[in-house]
Amino acid sequence: MEAALWTEKYRPKTLDEIQDQEEIVSRLKEFVKNGTMPHCLFAGPPGTGKTTAALCLARDLFGVRFHDVFMELNASDERGIDVVRTTVKEFARMASLTTVPFKILVLDEADNMTGDAQHALRRTMEKYTSTCRFVLCCNYSGKIIEPIQSRCALFRFTPLPESKIVSHLGSIAKLEGLRISDGGLKSVVEVAEGDMRKGINTLQAASSMSKSISEEAIFQVVGRAKPTDVHAMLEHALKGDFIKAREELRALLVRYGISGSEIVRQIHSEIFRLAVPEKKRISLVEAVGEIDFRLSQGGDEEVQLSALLARLAAEAQKGA
Amino acid sequence: MSEPWTVKHRPRTTKEIAGNKLAIDKLSQWLESWSKGRPSKAAALLHGPPGVGKTVVSEAVARERGWDLVEINASDKRSGEVLSRIAGMASTQSTLGGKGRLILLDEVDGINLREDQGAITALLSVVRESRFPIVLTANDPWDKKIRPLREACLLIELKRLSVRDGLPLLNRVLVKEGVRADEEALRLLLDKNNGDIRSTLNDLQILSGSRKMVGTGEVDWLSWRDRTEPIFRVLGLVFNSETVAAARRATSLSDVDHEMLFQWIFENAPYQIPNLHELNEAVEALAQADLFYARIRRTQDWHLLSYALDLMTAGVAMAKKTPTGGFVPMKFPQRISSMSRTRGTRELRRAVGTAIGYKCHLSSRRAAQLYLPVIQFVREHDQEKYGKIADWLGSREELEQLLVPEKGS
Repeated sequence: MEAALWTEKYRPKTLDEIQDQEEIVSRLKEFVKNGTMPHCLFAGPPGTGKTTAALCLARDLFGVRFHDVFMELNASDERGIDVVRTTVKEFARMASLTTVPFKILVLDEADNMTGDAQHALRRTMEKYTSTCRFVLCCNYSGKIIEPIQSRCALFRFTPLPESKIVSHLGSIAKLEGLRISDGGLKSVVEVAEGDMRKGINTLQAASSMSKSISEEAIFQVVGRAKPTDVHAMLEHALKGDFIKAREELRALLVRYGISGSEIVRQIHSEIFRLAVPEKKRISLVEAVGEIDFRLSQGGDEEVQLSALLARLAAEAQKGA
Repeated sequence: MSEPWTVKHRPRTTKEIAGNKLAIDKLSQWLESWSKGRPSKAAALLHGPPGVGKTVVSEAVARERGWDLVEINASDKRSGEVLSRIAGMASTQSTLGGKGRLILLDEVDGINLREDQGAITALLSVVRESRFPIVLTANDPWDKKIRPLREACLLIELKRLSVRDGLPLLNRVLVKEGVRADEEALRLLLDKNNGDIRSTLNDLQILSGSRKMVGTGEVDWLSWRDRTEPIFRVLGLVFNSETVAAARRATSLSDVDHEMLFQWIFENAPYQIPNLHELNEAVEALAQADLFYARIRRTQDWHLLSYALDLMTAGVAMAKKTPTGGFVPMKFPQRISSMSRTRGTRELRRAVGTAIGYKCHLSSRRAAQLYLPVIQFVREHDQEKYGKIADWLGSREELEQLLVPEKGS
């Protein structure tokens, strides 16, 4: 069955098809030419081709046999030491039956692994180097422990330049029989912010309205997909209505399923737009940073963000 | 008051047990099958709500056969190791004179996975190796943590006592006690206790007291067994104590789970603490308590719990200085109610997220986050295209359930 989501339908199948990241692609092609590779760490923002590069590398290396010797785990779903100890180890341990000299294990969203799990992974990587190569994908290489970083070749993926997104989206539009205005194309690119996935998703959503895509259509998609309730939540807090603010927070977390750290990010950028005295902004930045840190320490999203809202409410009252 | 009626009139044989004939037959047949060697399932799981006779049935079947009953109760502290030792011994060592033996593991769904590490695994191996029949009891057989056990067991459900089965039972007891009651009162009593024999008998005993006649008036007087009352007393302590010591007592008083207590305090803090500065302090104390919970989750170091408890009780109590104006009723924690309400939604999100993530190489969470808005948008504008996506993901049904109600909200 043909992939119905365009991000999959148009995902490059070989290294040659990858649009950008020339440096990286050429080095990966070297690996293919030599038939060998080190452990790799792919770091970079979402939608820049990390997983795609890993998949293409494996396919180019092993051709049709690649399904037997390739495994993909998502660290966010399957994190924890147990997975490393069992699944990863089982896969890494068994020598491959085919003629390929090693297997490839891709660990997506590896920066979501706990420290303990990463240490366990480090030992596994070491032990099974002869039979298995690891490709770790993450947004921030800094969240990967040093000992793992030092065992991997680091590849930094950068946001895609506008020209690449324009050409890729343009060719998808053509294949899908869409007409897209210059303004429309320009606004998808703006929305994408260097994230190809976001660009393609926006285009696909817009295409459900009409075959010809205008700037307005793109705005309509974006307006829906991005709840702006963070602003409303902060307004309630600043007015001293903690209960309402907490209700908004709960809606964001539960109804929209937005992660706590995403909310923190949005609050951070809102701080500079809020109607508060200039001096206060800095103490708010400190407060937001503290909550961000606590979330990374495993704090509960609702409780910790509520503490931030309570602080906002109290401080706003002090200023009044 | 003398001996409780629940003990005094406890049935000794299966014939004396009211109701649940099917379940008793099923259990008896399974026990008989042991005479032909160990059956494929060496354990039976008796499940049903409290007070329907799970323990009583087990005792009666053992007694009728002249078997020893080895009982291990969940309320006892049990860890995997202790369990293996006791249950293992009982299940493999022979009895004196070759007598039969029935092993009863009560309330297995009460096992606390954190504190009783390895208990389930230990139980499973006991079940596998036992030379004697084992009966386990549980209120909720579908509790996730006992799933592996459930699969190894013959499931036998005990139902709530019906009014029809209950009336003769109560009348038998009343005759022996020399008390008279009108039938309407007994029906009311059975109804109120919702098929729980134990609480029905307790109520009846209280009502009879020194009276020789129980009427509907007495039953009305008996208030509904209110199982949520203690929490309000505890919350009162947290929000109105003037000393640290008094607030801390809340945790020892409460028979609610401490994480539940946290949710109650967290929910009610803004309603009980009108002053915003004090509220800020209180919520911060709760956030600090939460950080200790996070550390406990990470390290499994449960001695840190006492700090979390101090912060969430005394920390909140000390923050509050301005009294609540007038009486503000306590609210049920949204987190707990929405957990059951949105558990469905959340599970749907996870299921759909997993389906998308599998196809699109993402974690279920990020997949749901990135793709659900797109899919929802397509759904609203082009049913056919949406249908293709839903079918490709193989989760049309879940998507429908997930996306439809959201439109209305």
